[in-house]
Amino acid sequence: MANSVDRPHNATAPRGRFEEIYDAQVVPIYRFIYARVGNRPDAEDLTAQVFMRAVEQLDTSREEGQIASWLYRVAQNAIADYWRAFYRLPLVGTEQVAVGWEPMAPSASGESAPTQSEADADRSHARVQHLLHRLPEHYARVLELRFLQRLSVAETAERMGITRGNAKVLQYRALRKAALLGETDG
Amino acid sequence: MAERPEDAAVERFERYLDALLGGGRPSPEDVADANEAEMARTAAELSGAVGAPDPDPAFVEQLRLRMRQADQGIASVQVPPPTRPRLVESDTSSSRVRLTRRQLLQTGLVGAAGLAAGVVGASVLGTGRALPGDLIWDDGSGLIAGQGFWSPVAMVADVAPGAAVRFSTAAFDGYVVNDGGEIRALSSVCTHMGCTLHFRSDWQDLRCPCHGASFDLKGELANGRDRWRQTGGYRGDAKAYPVALPPLVRPKVKVEDGQVFVWTAQV
Repeated sequence: MANSVDRPHNATAPRGRFEEIYDAQVVPIYRFIYARVGNRPDAEDLTAQVFMRAVEQLDTSREEGQIASWLYRVAQNAIADYWRAFYRLPLVGTEQVAVGWEPMAPSASGESAPTQSEADADRSHARVQHLLHRLPEHYARVLELRFLQRLSVAETAERMGITRGNAKVLQYRALRKAALLGETDG
Repeated sequence: MAERPEDAAVERFERYLDALLGGGRPSPEDVADANEAEMARTAAELSGAVGAPDPDPAFVEQLRLRMRQADQGIASVQVPPPTRPRLVESDTSSSRVRLTRRQLLQTGLVGAAGLAAGVVGASVLGTGRALPGDLIWDDGSGLIAGQGFWSPVAMVADVAPGAAVRFSTAAFDGYVVNDGGEIRALSSVCTHMGCTLHFRSDWQDLRCPCHGASFDLKGELANGRDRWRQTGGYRGDAKAYPVALPPLVRPKVKVEDGQVFVWTAQV
């Protein structure tokens, strides 16, 4: 808001650079987040958090690859915080990643954001396929209909020739099983 | 189907899935324990794996504007010339403006709607005395420290009782609202995470699209747990907003020549 002169910022960084970074990164970052929260309102919210934080803290004089890495780390932390609200417990499995310039991956400067994003999309697609293959057939089927084909419970029940109540129970159990398999995948 | 202990959990968790798959915002409230949290995460990843869509262009533009605004705030670059920075002493300690009947008549506001005029009249008369001239005032919102200037943001005639007008200054965005005859300015930045609030005239509140906080026209959280307990709920919301939030920033306002001005800090 108004009196923000005491907020940290890099006074020498070229203005307008933000918008270049934003234009280049907003879509890949949004997709990265969407793939992990699975819904638009939360994906928008977390994307906004990442870029608003960037306005305050990002050193825009860094090179592109480093900036992309920084943004992805901030996004990862935002996602971890998001899931923490669902656990209401200390989160196991999703580690907070330090957000600084130090632990930079050596290859970071060579990785452009879209490449990261596409690789990421392929990875999550492959993970889902892998997961479905390892589930009992009717579990895989209910998840396929409900999540990949986006059918309603009623439609899913009809396709499978079961009641709606049974479809909900089946879906619940399938997710429980899938969650356990996902955990053992690491 | 026979009742099973599992059924209640299945139904509850279905609410999470409905929101997730229906394009809404799923709630942690529908997730009971760590096992279900893992299930929720699996469901979110399944949902997200089906070709993550591009972001909504409107969202991208809105966020761009927010960033630009924040960036400019930090850079301290925008210093519009002061417009008549005439400070008026006043003994009122709120940031609202009481319109005098004369002002209302001048702007045609009283005639705007029969019912509304009644409300305005009651409010003005209820103060017991007319406050001096076109004064305004005040508050302790911190925005008034140091240099500042009055920025014209709306015509009084456009802010009928129950209406709100969006405004944007170099320093902040907000709404001018008319709460039953009292003109007030409220920041449109949610005090939770900074999302932009939108005015809902049916509800007479400012609503946060991010997590569903609602602020009343005094800038106080309207659907928080405390208020919920007092009032037994909030229209249309299934449950109370879980976090206690500070009130919205309320810049000073004044009305002059039929215009509403807000006091904008010199950044």
